[in-house]
Amino acid sequence: MTSFEEIYAKHSPQIFRVCMGYFNDPDQAKDITQETFISVWKNLDTFRNESHISTWIFRIATNNCLRALEKSKRVITTELPANLPVLHEETQEEKLAFLYQCIAELEETERIIISLVLEDLPQAEIAEIVGLSAGNVRVKIHRIKEKLAIKFKANGQFR
Amino acid sequence: MDNLDDLKALWLSAKTDSLPQPEEMLRMVKKFRDQRIRRKVIIIVIALLCAVIMFWGMLFDGFTMFTTYIGDVLMIISCIILVVTNLRSIKRFYQLKDCSNAEFVQFIERTRQNQIYFYKNTQVIAMSITSVGLMLYWYELVHRKPALTIIIYSATIIYLGVMWFVVRPRVFKKNARKLNEMLERLEKISKQF
Repeated sequence: MTSFEEIYAKHSPQIFRVCMGYFNDPDQAKDITQETFISVWKNLDTFRNESHISTWIFRIATNNCLRALEKSKRVITTELPANLPVLHEETQEEKLAFLYQCIAELEETERIIISLVLEDLPQAEIAEIVGLSAGNVRVKIHRIKEKLAIKFKANGQFR
Repeated sequence: MDNLDDLKALWLSAKTDSLPQPEEMLRMVKKFRDQRIRRKVIIIVIALLCAVIMFWGMLFDGFTMFTTYIGDVLMIISCIILVVTNLRSIKRFYQLKDCSNAEFVQFIERTRQNQIYFYKNTQVIAMSITSVGLMLYWYELVHRKPALTIIIYSATIIYLGVMWFVVRPRVFKKNARKLNEMLERLEKISKQF
C-alpha cells in the first residue's frame, strides 16, 4: 500500500463526515471528499514531510467546502419544527439525520468548527484550520454547543 | 452540553462505506483531468495559434500598407492579452492555497474581484484592440474592389456590433449577477471570522 493509499484510508472517513456536516448531502460530501484527495494527491510531494498532515488535509477539505459556494448547489436546510414530539424510539440513522439537520442550520464557519470538534480535533488545531485565535474558537464552540443544545432539547433528545 | 460524547459517538456512526476504496481512489486521481482547465487550455492554444499565423503572415505575405501591419500587431496584442489572462487564471487555479479558511475566503474574494475587473476593463480593451485591428487589417485586401469593401466591412461591422451590443452585455450581465451574488455570500462568511 502506498503512502497516498494509507493517508486516504485513514482520513477519508473523517473528511467525508466533515463534508456531511457542512453540506448535509451525501453526494456533495462524497464529491468534495474526492476533490480533496485529488488535491492531496497532486500536492503530496510538497507536504509529505509536514508534521501535521491531518491539519493540512482538513484545511484543503474545509476550503473546498467553502469554495463549493461557487457552485449552485445549496446546503439542505429544511427548517425544523420547534417542538417536535417524540412519538417513537428513534433509530441511529434518524438521530444522525437530525444531528446533520441541526448542524446544517448553523453558519458556514460554525458548521466547520462543530464538525472538527466532533472529529475530536484539539482546539489549537481547529484554530489553525479555521484561521481564528484559540480563544475565539473556544467562545465559538461554546455558542455552537448552546445552539445545538436548544435544538436537541426542543426535540426531546437532550438530557 | 453534558452529552457531547454521545454526539461524538453518533457522529462517528455515519456510514462511510460508499466512499471509493483506496486502490480505486488512486486509479481515479491518476486519471483525473480537470474539465474547467481544459476550456482555458483550448483558448490559450487557439489564441497562440492565431498570433503565430498572424505574425507569419506579417513577415511573409508581403503586405505593402502600414494599416495592415498595424491591424496585424493589434490583433496579435489582443491574442497575447487572452493568453496572459487565461494563463494567470490557470496559475491561480493550480495554486493550492495552503491557508486557513479565513485566508482562503479572502483569496476567493480577491479572485472574484479580479474577474469583475476583467469583464469591466481587460475584456473591453482586448475587444477594442481586436475591432480596430480587424478593420485596419482588411483595408489593404479589399480597398481596390468597392463591392468587396462594402461586403467585408458591412459583415465585420455587423459581427462586431453583435459581439459588442448583444453577446458581451448578455454574458456580462449573467456573469456579473453570479459574481455579485457570490461576493455577497463571501462577505457574509468573512464576517463570521
